[in-house]
Amino acid sequence: MGVWDVINDLVEAATPWGIAEAEAPPAEEKAEAKDEGSKSDDAEEEEAEEAEEEEEEEELEDPKEKFEEECRNSKQCAPAKHHFDECVERVTNASDDDEGEKEDCVEEFFHLAHCATQCAAPKLWAVLK
Amino acid sequence: MLARSSLRSMRILNGARNGTTAVAKRSISSSGPSIESPMKLNMAAAASTALAIGSVAWYYHLYGPTAHAGSPAEEGLHATKYPWVHEQWFKTFDHQALRRGFQVYREVCMACHSLTRIPYRSLVGTVLTVDEAKAMAEENEYDSEPNDEGEIEKRPGKLSDYIPAPYKNDEAARAANNGALPPDLSLIIKGRHGGCDYVFSLLTGYPDEPPAGAQVGAGLNFNPYFPGTGIAMARVLYDGLVEYEDETPATTSQMAKDVVEFLNWAAEPEMDDRKRMGMKVLAVTSVLFALSVWVKRYKWASLKSRKIVYDPPKVSNKTRN
Ligand code: HEC
Repeated sequence: MGVWDVINDLVEAATPWGIAEAEAPPAEEKAEAKDEGSKSDDAEEEEAEEAEEEEEEEELEDPKEKFEEECRNSKQCAPAKHHFDECVERVTNASDDDEGEKEDCVEEFFHLAHCATQCAAPKLWAVLK
Repeated sequence: MLARSSLRSMRILNGARNGTTAVAKRSISSSGPSIESPMKLNMAAAASTALAIGSVAWYYHLYGPTAHAGSPAEEGLHATKYPWVHEQWFKTFDHQALRRGFQVYREVCMACHSLTRIPYRSLVGTVLTVDEAKAMAEENEYDSEPNDEGEIEKRPGKLSDYIPAPYKNDEAARAANNGALPPDLSLIIKGRHGGCDYVFSLLTGYPDEPPAGAQVGAGLNFNPYFPGTGIAMARVLYDGLVEYEDETPATTSQMAKDVVEFLNWAAEPEMDDRKRMGMKVLAVTSVLFALSVWVKRYKWASLKSRKIVYDPPKVSNKTRN
């Protein structure tokens, strides 16, 4: 956008009676140019496809899982993880005896998940597109 | 000259003396027998302060703490805040991400969720090109106008048609999903507390297995972010589920991020324009403000550059004394 366009734009904003906009015509020229380009680039495309296949062979790893796992084991989330692990042990042992009211570890899970996602959020956004 | 200045100082002194006498008089009148004892005054102040503190404390006791009727599990885990770029004041949607997100919607979510408020025409220029949108619309059939015999025939879709729903009606949708209705996603970002963060967390938050002791109802899946933690939608996004045309690695979180940004666009298609209009308002008003400052300077110039001089009349000894 040139300087003049910017000024025009602002003037139009201040004068709402100015213009009526219609849908811009489709960019036909560009499409043609693309077609030509693709013909000459056949060889390159093949290479690209090969590369893609190689990539597919590699296992995709979700960065969210990775960061959250790291965060769960970090010092920051150590108290939450400690409580969660303790709860899991207690509950699994208790269910063997099968007596009294059953406890669950949902709350402990929440605290741990909250800590881990909070810690992983900025790292995750740095790697996602 | 000397006489005059000494005269003036005499007058000032006089005035000062008058003032001091007035003050003295006042202090005399207030220290009469009607004065209240300092003890009483202090007690009144202390009592009123105690009343003020007491009433605030009582109010806090009655209305201060919020009551939580539900357990944390019933409430659901609050979604973490993610640093979405498009939520910043001076940022737009990433339209490449919208394109990827629409692909995820079409290839995954569309099997169960409708998007009834989005016509193909609104995808033109934001997500798709005209030709792509036309081709996509033509893949579906819609009812046309009644013909001469009053029969309603089918016609291929046009840009003005809306994205078709996966089920004929809500009952059919429930029947196909174990009794749970997959909600329409057009306004889901606005319709859920937490917006983008909630839907992103929901889609990526299914743990491998529910935590020990958690009760998960029949046909439900454990998801900490869904209120009640039992959701009828199973995990739908898995790494590499779609293949992006721009070769972005299709990890679970990437797909979730893209589809959430797309759904945010669906709920708020005016966002880019709205922010642009806001910038226009700021720019135009700042120009007007600068203009008004200059105009004010111009208008006040004659006043600001004026000098007022007091030229006292000549003293003649005859009239004064
Ligand atoms: C197999 C069918 C199916 C697919 C595919 C599917 N969903 Fe769902 N979805 C459901 C059902 C059923 C519910 C209702 C869950 C409930 O009420 O317990 C639901 C609920 C939701 C909700 C609402 C949760 C709430 O707070 O009420 C959102 C948001 C959602 N789905 C997003 C998506 C997105 C985004 C996709 C695509 C990535 C998707 N869904 C794919 C079946 C599906």
